[in-house]
Amino acid sequence: MSLLEIKNLNVRFGDASAVPVVDGLNLSVDKGQVLAIVGESGSGKSVTMMALMGLIDAPGRVNADALTFDGHNMLTLSARQRRQIVGKDMAMVFQDPMTALNPSYTVGFQIEEVLRLHLNMSKKQARQRAIELLETVEIPAAASRMNAYPHQLSGGMSQRVAIAMAIAGEPKLLIADEPTTALDVTIQAQIMDLLLKLQREQNMGLVLITHDLAVVAETAQRVCVMYAGQAVEVGQVPGLFDRPAHPYSEALLAAIPEHSLGAARLSTLPGIVPGRFDRPQGCLLSPRCPYVQDTCRQQRPALEPKAYSQVRCFFPLNQEVA
Amino acid sequence: MTVVLTARDLTRHYEVSRGLFKGHARVRALNGVSFELEAGKTLAVVGESGCGKSTLARALTLIEEPTSGSLKIAGQEVAGANKAERKQLRKDVQMVFQSPYASLNPRQKIGDQLAEPLLINTALSASERREKVQAMMKQVGLRPEHYQRYPHMFSGGQRQRIALARAMMLQPKVLVADEPTSALDVSIQAQVLNLFMDLQQEFNTAYVFISHNLAVVRHVADTVLVMYLGRPVEMGPKEAIYTRPLHPYTQALLSATPTIHPDPLKPKIKIVGELPNPLNPPSGCAFHKRCPYATEVCSTDEPSLRLLDNRQVACHHAELFLQA
Repeated sequence: MSLLEIKNLNVRFGDASAVPVVDGLNLSVDKGQVLAIVGESGSGKSVTMMALMGLIDAPGRVNADALTFDGHNMLTLSARQRRQIVGKDMAMVFQDPMTALNPSYTVGFQIEEVLRLHLNMSKKQARQRAIELLETVEIPAAASRMNAYPHQLSGGMSQRVAIAMAIAGEPKLLIADEPTTALDVTIQAQIMDLLLKLQREQNMGLVLITHDLAVVAETAQRVCVMYAGQAVEVGQVPGLFDRPAHPYSEALLAAIPEHSLGAARLSTLPGIVPGRFDRPQGCLLSPRCPYVQDTCRQQRPALEPKAYSQVRCFFPLNQEVA
Repeated sequence: MTVVLTARDLTRHYEVSRGLFKGHARVRALNGVSFELEAGKTLAVVGESGCGKSTLARALTLIEEPTSGSLKIAGQEVAGANKAERKQLRKDVQMVFQSPYASLNPRQKIGDQLAEPLLINTALSASERREKVQAMMKQVGLRPEHYQRYPHMFSGGQRQRIALARAMMLQPKVLVADEPTSALDVSIQAQVLNLFMDLQQEFNTAYVFISHNLAVVRHVADTVLVMYLGRPVEMGPKEAIYTRPLHPYTQALLSATPTIHPDPLKPKIKIVGELPNPLNPPSGCAFHKRCPYATEVCSTDEPSLRLLDNRQVACHHAELFLQA
């Protein structure tokens, strides 16, 4: 049994006729596994994880055949029960460390708060453990940093504190939503190293949400490429990077400057992701796809296993079996 | 080729108050940057936040006056220029900012924002301005009906197109772009970068392209300038810098950049720690506390830029990496 199992997740904002923001998504994450979710802004990456944690408020509506985490059915839990899991067994690191921390409290207090609420530690124990956690995330002079306010820390340091808070409850699943987008390259490398080290040491499941394919190539074992709320390709890293089967995966890879060394122009997909009012009738990528055929304009393909990965495309690429 | 931008020892220091009874401290945000830029070429400035990239941009665009050093735009010295001359100079340097959400006026129509540079700097009539705006909008891939729309009706990529169109309205000689694609998705980034390249070809504009994304820089740059704590540490042709970086900081930056096809045999150079406090920079080479190759001389003597293997580099041990 997987640690996290998502079956046919749909998220809509508005009534049942509204265009789904997440459309029939299936995902599973095992203990000790790193899954990356890649896609452009508005593709539904973050909403998926918010739905999992019960953070979608009205008018948002979450429907799924199954949404199980560690044996709990997240759909039927009461708010009180959910609060016992979220933040403890399932924790999240957000994109912008400057806004994820509360500016009015010291970082020590914010970490202690997690320990006291979720692990019922005494004030003294919590303080001791918080210092240990700051040391775990490699913050120098941890004891003296306990009394620092977030504004006194750099972006990289704040992100380390946010990670310390996330791992305070020794989570089984860590969700990192663009954890390094706001940071410099050298700091990004440090934070990714730290996240992966913690993931290995504690055998956590890690869901990495990002739009940076290079980060995925260096960290994840499996990747799910999302487009307009749908998973369009799910496969292994590095296989998917060598042989992308979905035209969108191929286009995403080709748009990276690294792939056009020496060329004057970067290859691009024309146009933008369809909004909620201009969804095409057929495949969601059909208006932008360079390989589009008549079938694509009329019917929507399903996510099906192909030669190397699961693909949502009638005419997948790179299918020759070596 | 005509040189359109020349910087000599450009320096910008800030006085920072440390409290009532202490004297002022001095932050050397920009310390002795020199370069020449030809029309139609791109200089990329690379470094971590706090390395002085944006201070350089502000100095180049005449938003701030440099503390010392000389800056020439199209042969005209900036220091000592009078008000009328400055106004003329400002037409020649335009800027595109990082966030297209913050750099456009939310209460002004796109057409009016694009026409404003013409209104201020030229004597064109309203209909001529409109014609020019429409032509530029077409050039950057916006439709004529977008003229009447407000910024909130556009996506991030389209907004950056608008910001770029606005900067190009006066056909400047130099365009300074401060992280123009870091707020955009990869596929949109590719579209915007292509537009940058197209416009450069069309108008033969010189670009100063500030970025911390080395993959993007490799695509757009002709010359690369790597900065650390306000100082240039390595500057040279793109190919030289990318194939054989001679400064340990450049090497670390390149190594830290994630790639699509990671080479498991090639160990990553890890640099520990963060940028030092600019109020209290380390003695000697500013990088020595994080540098894996640092020796005693690095903590006492500040290395100056010297010519080596087709580029300028400021490191005592640069020869070490020549053989490798």
